Amino acid sequence: MSIEIQNITKSFGSFTALDNISLEVRSGELLALLGPSGSGKTTLLRIIAGLEFADHGPGRVLFEGQDVSHVSAAARQVGFAFQHYALFRHMTVFENIAFGLRVRPRRLRPSGAAIRERVNELLKLVQLEHLDRRFPSQLSGGQRQRVALARALAVEPRVLLLDEPFGALDARVRKELRRWLRELHEKVHLTTIFVTHDQDEALEVANRVVVMNEGRIEQIGTPDEVYDRPANPFVYNFLGNVNLFHGRIREGQVHLGDSAFPMPEHQPVADADVPAVAYVRPHEIRVLSQPNGKASLPAIIRYVHSAGPLVHLELERLDDAGRFAAQLTREESRGVDLHPGAQVFVELKNLRVFGEDYSI
Amino acid sequence: MAGSISRLTQSSGLARRATHDPVWVQWTLTAVALVFLGLFLFIPLAAVFSEALRRGFGPYFASFRNPDAISAIRLTLTVALISVPLNLVFGVAASWAIAKFNFWGKSLLITLIDLPFAVSPVISGLIFVLIFGMQGWFGPWLSAHHLQIIFAVPGIVLATIFVSFPFVARELIPLMQAQGNEEEYAALTLGATGWQTFRYVTLPNIKWGLFYGVILCNARAMGEFGAVSVVSGHIRGRTNTIPLHVEILYNEYNFVAAFAVASLLSFLALITLALKSFVEAKGRSSRSSSFETPNA
Repeated sequence: MSIEIQNITKSFGSFTALDNISLEVRSGELLALLGPSGSGKTTLLRIIAGLEFADHGPGRVLFEGQDVSHVSAAARQVGFAFQHYALFRHMTVFENIAFGLRVRPRRLRPSGAAIRERVNELLKLVQLEHLDRRFPSQLSGGQRQRVALARALAVEPRVLLLDEPFGALDARVRKELRRWLRELHEKVHLTTIFVTHDQDEALEVANRVVVMNEGRIEQIGTPDEVYDRPANPFVYNFLGNVNLFHGRIREGQVHLGDSAFPMPEHQPVADADVPAVAYVRPHEIRVLSQPNGKASLPAIIRYVHSAGPLVHLELERLDDAGRFAAQLTREESRGVDLHPGAQVFVELKNLRVFGEDYSI
Repeated sequence: MAGSISRLTQSSGLARRATHDPVWVQWTLTAVALVFLGLFLFIPLAAVFSEALRRGFGPYFASFRNPDAISAIRLTLTVALISVPLNLVFGVAASWAIAKFNFWGKSLLITLIDLPFAVSPVISGLIFVLIFGMQGWFGPWLSAHHLQIIFAVPGIVLATIFVSFPFVARELIPLMQAQGNEEEYAALTLGATGWQTFRYVTLPNIKWGLFYGVILCNARAMGEFGAVSVVSGHIRGRTNTIPLHVEILYNEYNFVAAFAVASLLSFLALITLALKSFVEAKGRSSRSSSFETPNA
């Protein structure tokens, strides 16, 4: 099912949680709402579910083209998995999953046998067949999350909404559940939206990522798009590590110290002489022992950490003593003398320049 | 070898004792607590029963056959039977509203719920006299319509409801706040109606707290003296509750009967205590399905 969110604004008192948000969710996709805490991502998810309602105004939520802005959560047919699972603590796993079917009006309610069959089917799907008689308190975090998902799926929802689905789990279980969620999505092909503050999670699991900050959408795109071509400094900073180089823009080039670097096209900065900040990810830096003749920056190696598949360097610019980090593959590090105190030249492979007044 | 082992155990014994207070402190504190309990709880309780049974079981049971005593017991039960269910409904509704929703005037409502605890019961009784009494706001209108509230059963019921209404709400509000709204929201997204959510999700989660609140509410409703004393008018056989009846008997130097009737209230207190500890134990280990088991 496709979902359209049009001009949604939501405030709590004087705090604006969502500021005129519009978003289109395609049928069958796995979409991540990614942002720091307080960015409004969970509020947006709850508005889609009908657990919160947007402020009065032109804002609308459409399911399959139909306006559901004023439809209750109970009538929207959404499957919602809560961050802390919200399992019914006094019911067994079986009863938790069966709940949505048992509370249906009599004429829509499946027979006892049909409910049993459906619940067993779901227990198999989430790989918990043998735990049907347990109570939530007797399950591990990962198991609880899977029960919550099975319970949400039991009512045959039109969309699956997951609030920080792996937030409360330890790292190993998270990894496992991520893969499991992707496989589940491939199997049931339900439009799924999940909220997360973990960029790795969003980039790994989702088809598309919506990066949010302070109640606004900063960028929407595939994981590759948002990672490789961040729309603004916020997205750059939020998705992975990044180095900042302060300099000036002159004649279509960015000047860092004495070196000038060509600017890639379509930059959101004017052609005048203005202060600017160049963003470069650590793995987009090449370290050379000799200047390459075109654009390179002299620097001194301050720290080397070379255990593992990558070599991590901490460098200091010769001109303004600014520190930055670089990541080299073992391949790239060959032939360069890497030890603390060595002088090297760095080439910036993919730099993005934003005006200095662009606040982060 | 053996020496070193015994040294080890000795030193660990010392270490264990070092984390405790000196023996004399332990004993003094325990003794103070026991003396206090004995002085203020056990001796009065024992006195009630010994005074009641001073002339044996015959006069003891005869005290309950007195028509005035029977009427007092009946009135107390009636009042409790009306006020406890009303306060149950009120308490659940108020704590539901306070714990699950945000609304304007919420803190005022919480303060109002505590009001009966803060106000002296006698004052609460006087408030009702002021409102419904002959010289009160609605007095003339009520007497014109031949309705009597003060010095009659309705007044006693009103005063009892007033003094006993915080118990259920006070018990449930922290419980419901601690449990949060997530389970209710989950039920909602699964298509449950408001009533189904309450019946199958909220109620099972609060049932032991609710039962506990009701026990306390009932104990207060049956034992209330001050507020009821002001509004009842002490009409024998008509507006005397058990506590008021005890007072009258005592003032008439009818000690055996007074203590015999008082022993009823003491039994109520003991039963309440027993139920309370049972409920507390149950609430801690409560885990039961609200639906019938699927394979049954």
